[in-house]
Amino acid sequence: MIEYLLFTPILTGILCYFTRSRRQVETISILGSLMTLIFGLSLVLDVYRNGIIVTWQNSLFADAFSAYIVLIVSIISFVSSIYSIGYMGHEISHNVIDLKRLKMYYVLFHFFVFTMLLVGVTNNLGLWIAIEMTTLVSALLIIFYSNKASVEAAWKYVIISTVGITFALFGTILTYYAAVKILGETGDALNWTSLIAVAGQFDPMIMKLAFIFILIGYGTKAGLAPMHTWLPDAYSESPTPVGALLSGTLVNCAMYGIIRFYSIATKSTGPEFTSNLLIIFGLLSLGIAVPFIILQEDYKRLLAYSSVEHMGIIALGIGFGGVYGIFGAILHMFNHAMTKSLMFFGVGNVLLKYGTKEIDKVSGIVKTMPMTGAILLIGGLAITGSPPFSIFISEFTILSSGFLGGHIIASVLFLLFIIMIFAGFFYNLSKMIFGNPTPGIIPGEVSRWTLSAMVILVVFVFVLGFYMPPAFYKMIMNVVAVVR
Amino acid sequence: MAEIIFGSNTMQLLIALILVSTFMILGSTRLYSCIRDFGIQSFLLACVAGTVAFSTGKDEIYIIAVLTILFKSIVIPYFLLYIIREIKVKKEVELYVKISPSLIIGGMLVVISYYLIRSINVISELSSFALSASVSLVSIGLFIMISRKKAIMQMLGILIMENGLFLGAISLTNGMPLLVELGIFFDVLIAVLIMGILIFRINKTFESIDTDLLKTLIG
Repeated sequence: MIEYLLFTPILTGILCYFTRSRRQVETISILGSLMTLIFGLSLVLDVYRNGIIVTWQNSLFADAFSAYIVLIVSIISFVSSIYSIGYMGHEISHNVIDLKRLKMYYVLFHFFVFTMLLVGVTNNLGLWIAIEMTTLVSALLIIFYSNKASVEAAWKYVIISTVGITFALFGTILTYYAAVKILGETGDALNWTSLIAVAGQFDPMIMKLAFIFILIGYGTKAGLAPMHTWLPDAYSESPTPVGALLSGTLVNCAMYGIIRFYSIATKSTGPEFTSNLLIIFGLLSLGIAVPFIILQEDYKRLLAYSSVEHMGIIALGIGFGGVYGIFGAILHMFNHAMTKSLMFFGVGNVLLKYGTKEIDKVSGIVKTMPMTGAILLIGGLAITGSPPFSIFISEFTILSSGFLGGHIIASVLFLLFIIMIFAGFFYNLSKMIFGNPTPGIIPGEVSRWTLSAMVILVVFVFVLGFYMPPAFYKMIMNVVAVVR
Repeated sequence: MAEIIFGSNTMQLLIALILVSTFMILGSTRLYSCIRDFGIQSFLLACVAGTVAFSTGKDEIYIIAVLTILFKSIVIPYFLLYIIREIKVKKEVELYVKISPSLIIGGMLVVISYYLIRSINVISELSSFALSASVSLVSIGLFIMISRKKAIMQMLGILIMENGLFLGAISLTNGMPLLVELGIFFDVLIAVLIMGILIFRINKTFESIDTDLLKTLIG
């Protein structure tokens, strides 16, 4: 099962390269991502029924947590490939790109999906390799438009992420060293399954050092402040569907790395050390996001800083710990992925219609594009954590776990920051959505493809706010059991 | 954990030479010699791996050593030279921090790394020595990245950091499992390739590879 899941996006990418027309490449891309989604869902189902799956000489594996990441990646990549047809179709019919570049886009898109799936199902600290690969492939997607800004963004992204990831490699080596002392020099000494069993005996001093390096390293990739500086550039200069993939799934993959190491390190150092670090980085990310969201002039960067905020919230949830904190954080990964991709799709339509990324030059979306406007409004309410949408549930769970766990100051700060972010975000968004339309804009939606992608995501955002399916609840509880 | 008894003196010599090669990169103003020194550093690293392989009798480390020579001291330096020739950059390394302060900072970084590693208990005298050299390489690599203007030097900085980690891995644990090591090699190669592509793009769009120009996206 895992092999098929990994093989599908690669094959799709290769096939996309050999197509001859726009129609062919789009059909193959959508079929490929549908297959990826199907294999992803059946892997999730398989893990849900049978527990851990291990194949390929122990190097690939899937437990509840990996399955969860696979679920997020395959849903977002499917929706994003639907959106791409509308978005890239618009670009090609307005002669912004030609067929050759369109094909290249889909090839890289599916390879990117492959690397992210690989992050989820790697059975060892070789996770590092997969995460570095996501950087490299996505850099080529960020540079897609090859203008000055995108070249600058891609260069910053590659350099900052690679340095970060180098630190993570050092943390990985230290963890391996701690493991080798207990397990001996076998290939197994890097596997999650064997690591977690003996993690209690690791040298706490070495694990503390390792966790700091891992947190800084993967934290760079996840966009935790103060290592987030590449993130707004990369999000705002990449093509919008890629922005959705970066913000919805890539940051979650990096977060996954941190959480995996958190569970190993906590067993050896005790919860105090790791939790405090995560709370500090979480609050820092939230705090740094506040002024940038309030004073933002570019709406794609607005969303990027909102991602920094939400990664901070996930880190806080894990830091608060306990069943509720971790449950909230894990649920938040899913909710954030869905809602943030939805927002990216919305502003992508706006960008195609208005041709500018400046907040001040956009107004009256709800009059020019009623559907997009309405969905952006829903998404905006959801992303800032207002009820009755899904993010409210997870943020509330994290907040209450903070108060219950006695982290009073951190929880009060958390509450304060999200209120300020709510105000700032909504102030900026409402300027765009309401008001009189900018003169010279012809009313009408961009494409049906982009709308249908958004409608799929709205369903997730809405339904999870009211009702949590028991199977989904149990799945998250399984993940919590893996993490703790 | 098998301690490396055989060839301990050789190891110390090699590690000291690796540090010397790092300072050669730090003290040089010409791109060519920086790249040449990086090649030498990688060759010395391969020798370290070879020594470890010889004294522990593990054959797979030989593979790593051969790959290191092949890629890090031949292919990557030649690729860097190719980039320089193709885009016809000026041959000097342009600096934010001048050579003599750079060397002093490099020396300070080595001392700091040494004391940092002292504070953790590591198995033997040798791996403590190797580990502090490894941390120095990582920090000097980072320093090179922030103190040089040319995009190529940032690439070289990352490669030096990577070499430092390689040294750390080999001295702490006799190397990671083969599959992981091969994966890391693969990643480094692809990373160099993609950074190369980016440098060509930077050169095409900005008509220079001076990273001073890449400072427009803020806020």
